[in-house]
Amino acid sequence: MLTKLAGGRLYDPANGIDGEVRDLYIHDGRILHHPPPGETPGQTFDLDGKLVMAGAIDMHTHIGGGKVNIARAMLPEDQRAHRRNRTASTRSGGGHAAPSTLAAGYRYAEMGYTCCFEPAILPINARQSHMEMADTPMVDTGGYAMLGNDDLLLQLMSEGASQETINDYVAWTLHATQCIGIKVVNPGGINAFKFNARTLDVDEQHPHYPLKPRDIIRTLSRAVAELGVPHPLHVHASNLGVPGNRTATLATMAAAEGFPIHLTHIQFHAYGTEGDRHFSSAAAEIAEAVNRLKNVTIDVGQVMFGQTVTISGDSMHQHANHHHAHPHKWTCMDIECEAGCGVIPFRYKDKNFVNALQWAIGLELFLMVEDPWRVFLTTDHPNGAPFTSYPHLIRLLMDRSFRNDQLARIHPDAAAMSLLGSLEREYSLYEIAIMTRAAPARILGLTDRGHLGSGARADLCVYRPSDDAERIFSSPMLVFKNGEVVVEEGRITRPLQGTTQVVRPEYDRAIERRIGDWFDRHHTVRLANFGISDAEMAEGIGSPVEVHPCRPRSVT
Amino acid sequence: MWKTELTASTDHLTCPFCGLACDDLQLEHQDPNGPIDIRNGCETARNAFTQLMAAETRPPMIAGRPVALEETLERCVSRLREARAPLFGGLATDVNGMRAALSLADQCGALLDHVNSDALFRNQLVQQDSGWMTTTLTEARNRADLVVLIGSQWHERFPRLIERVLSPPEALFTETSERRFVLIGPNESQAVPAELRGCIQNVIQIENRQIGALAGLLRGLVAGRPVRADAIPDVNAETLLTLAEQLKSASYALFVWSAAELDFPHAELTVQALSELVRDLNQTTRAAALPLAGTLGDITVNQVCTWQSGYPLRTDFQQQGPRYDPMLNRHQDILARNECDLLLWIAAIPGGGDPPSTDCPTLVLGHPGLLLERPPEVFIPVGVPGIDHPGHWYRSDAACPLPLGQIRDLGLPSVAQILTQLGQRLAQTAQEETPC
Repeated sequence: MLTKLAGGRLYDPANGIDGEVRDLYIHDGRILHHPPPGETPGQTFDLDGKLVMAGAIDMHTHIGGGKVNIARAMLPEDQRAHRRNRTASTRSGGGHAAPSTLAAGYRYAEMGYTCCFEPAILPINARQSHMEMADTPMVDTGGYAMLGNDDLLLQLMSEGASQETINDYVAWTLHATQCIGIKVVNPGGINAFKFNARTLDVDEQHPHYPLKPRDIIRTLSRAVAELGVPHPLHVHASNLGVPGNRTATLATMAAAEGFPIHLTHIQFHAYGTEGDRHFSSAAAEIAEAVNRLKNVTIDVGQVMFGQTVTISGDSMHQHANHHHAHPHKWTCMDIECEAGCGVIPFRYKDKNFVNALQWAIGLELFLMVEDPWRVFLTTDHPNGAPFTSYPHLIRLLMDRSFRNDQLARIHPDAAAMSLLGSLEREYSLYEIAIMTRAAPARILGLTDRGHLGSGARADLCVYRPSDDAERIFSSPMLVFKNGEVVVEEGRITRPLQGTTQVVRPEYDRAIERRIGDWFDRHHTVRLANFGISDAEMAEGIGSPVEVHPCRPRSVT
Repeated sequence: MWKTELTASTDHLTCPFCGLACDDLQLEHQDPNGPIDIRNGCETARNAFTQLMAAETRPPMIAGRPVALEETLERCVSRLREARAPLFGGLATDVNGMRAALSLADQCGALLDHVNSDALFRNQLVQQDSGWMTTTLTEARNRADLVVLIGSQWHERFPRLIERVLSPPEALFTETSERRFVLIGPNESQAVPAELRGCIQNVIQIENRQIGALAGLLRGLVAGRPVRADAIPDVNAETLLTLAEQLKSASYALFVWSAAELDFPHAELTVQALSELVRDLNQTTRAAALPLAGTLGDITVNQVCTWQSGYPLRTDFQQQGPRYDPMLNRHQDILARNECDLLLWIAAIPGGGDPPSTDCPTLVLGHPGLLLERPPEVFIPVGVPGIDHPGHWYRSDAACPLPLGQIRDLGLPSVAQILTQLGQRLAQTAQEETPC
């Protein structure tokens, strides 16, 4: 059937369209700009100037995997306070900071999101991540496999293995775990914590291996580029949350030596040590570096006030921060000679100096990084705040007077130390569409998503215009997934299951002998049971894969 | 690996008979439905495979009378439709079995609890109340230099723990010959496994109920507080003082327990005391807990329940959404208080015993060899995950879901297939009943 969307105001930055009124057609799950010859629309939506954008893409959200499930299990109070009842078309669930998979999928779709990426998949736990995401309805999913603390990589690097060998291991990992990118969390640091190190700076030597975090960043960012994985190495830098960590963040950017690098939740890595409390914003310095270094992209990890839970692979810094747990319970785990995790419930308070300044630092970064194609809208769900706060965050970016009203409420010393009040920038709808649609699709290599061009997948949403951006983005009028209406007036009308987005760089299979030997000698899982096949994804896990192409790159 | 074709020969079969989930079993058999030769597994695994393969396959039955599968399905649907407060118990199944159980429970307002939940919740309540620091099998195998073994049943319940984790041929970061062991529990000295005898540093003879107090005392000693090391009768003060020092100087102390044997009221407080000792040690050195569990799929179904509903087991869906109560929703008490009007018991993995005796109508999905003392209203034979159909299940450490293979084809449906069918039929009858 042909569907016509008549008279919508289109925001499609990938194709340079900024608020033009145009008709769109949907045919066989794809967007068309003209009806196919001889076809007349079976269904027409008269949009009358309503805002039309591609489905939103969250490129960094902790929605599936072992540590997310630990958070759910630890926080029945979070579920109890946010129950979501069964309806005729949707199943029950709940939760706010650590929502159930079902509740997360429904809520994402109700906000106009059609694609979400779990940024920290522990290879041994990849099955669980994919099973949880398969049970997250409405959205397509994907994930980044964690390397850089696994003993096999560190051993290979310590032995002086060639870059080609490392590349083969990285590619093998992507295949085995059915992932679309590579993530490194506190490079070497999670591993060092197992040797009882409590910090590991970028140029500090690991307590066991003759390596520094800088070496890991350089090697992995190069591997990802040479393999042609579209998404740059996704980096949770060293020294998360530590005052003065700006130097580590800048050193991490430099460590990529010109290869593409994505620094995630950079708000948590943009701290100075100025002032009476020895905690200050380094947002200006970090933003200046991002503006200058074209190989660098970031997402912010904005903090919002209220109860949440922090879940991270960074067991080293999660353990260091366990005293801040609210409510006072916390879990840390060492996992399978691969990495670890830490789960700490946390309440950000606007009257707390540090939390208030974290909030301001995130917004400063958004407003001072000039190129919206290189800064992504995240709260590092749920670490800075649950993803449900995105509409509020968008209003903070688009509405200066609203932002300044909020600024007036936070701890006055934090407000006084922040540049935020002086920043006049207001994001446009076009720029919001860049950072939530066009740019994430581009940086992940999803060529048929994040835009409204002819032939694009018909994942799109229709919003009612309003002066209040929070209202616009809280509740779209219509959401289409694969060309079907799935949400009307912010409510699910048609539940569906998504697919898993992966890449498959080529590699020399000889590496599997080396990996097999390592497994036989040291692991408690057989290599043959480690990798996930396409048939297992489709039939057992319940989320078939879609493969996206790789294109090898060099230094930019 | 997800295989729907039969495996005639493999060296990486995953064993579904205890929480260690050894995935290196070697299997040889010529005739897919004939006898099999299993190597590499423990005696428990070999016996379980052999018994299961030899067991007579029982047909679908209503009140002990063999009937067509269709008839049992229809009876289940009508019982589920009538029920106001169904209880889904047992739950010895794989990931997809539990996914289907949760979907059906949401649909008909059921309560879910596992046959092993008493043991499961001794650990779960601690994670929920205070959190803990744990590790996994590979990490423990390669890193531990001091191992504290709690209780006395861990090696019977998890037979290959010594071979695969505690005493492997080599380890990455310690000399396995220098690894030291401390036994705390009701251990008869002659019962210490032979493989460990040369490396035992201490055996502390103590009743399981006293272990919580001992852990508390060790916390005090580790922290340098003025506690009396001789406060526990029959436990030598010097031994405890030495142990506290050894724990502080270890690089990676490992605490191993099986909550199933801590079978006394409020044993979660014992687990908590041990967990707090581990966390205290981490202020200055590294230590981690390795709670052993997972047998009969308890970790598996708890994981799936947690991600789909947001809560662990002992969750019910009677009021249109999930409600969790680890105390009130204990299935044994629900049955004793007559707070359910239908029992759906799932026992796809052998070893969980009979369904509890109750006056409620009882529907059983059981492995094909399940012999019941009293015939339930409905019995449906289902495949054993890992033998009759592929699947997934979790190892003890909750971080490693492993693929289960298929080694024979008797045409048995999986739990997931039966429950999905019931759900579809139930939805259909509900639609037909809705007036237009």
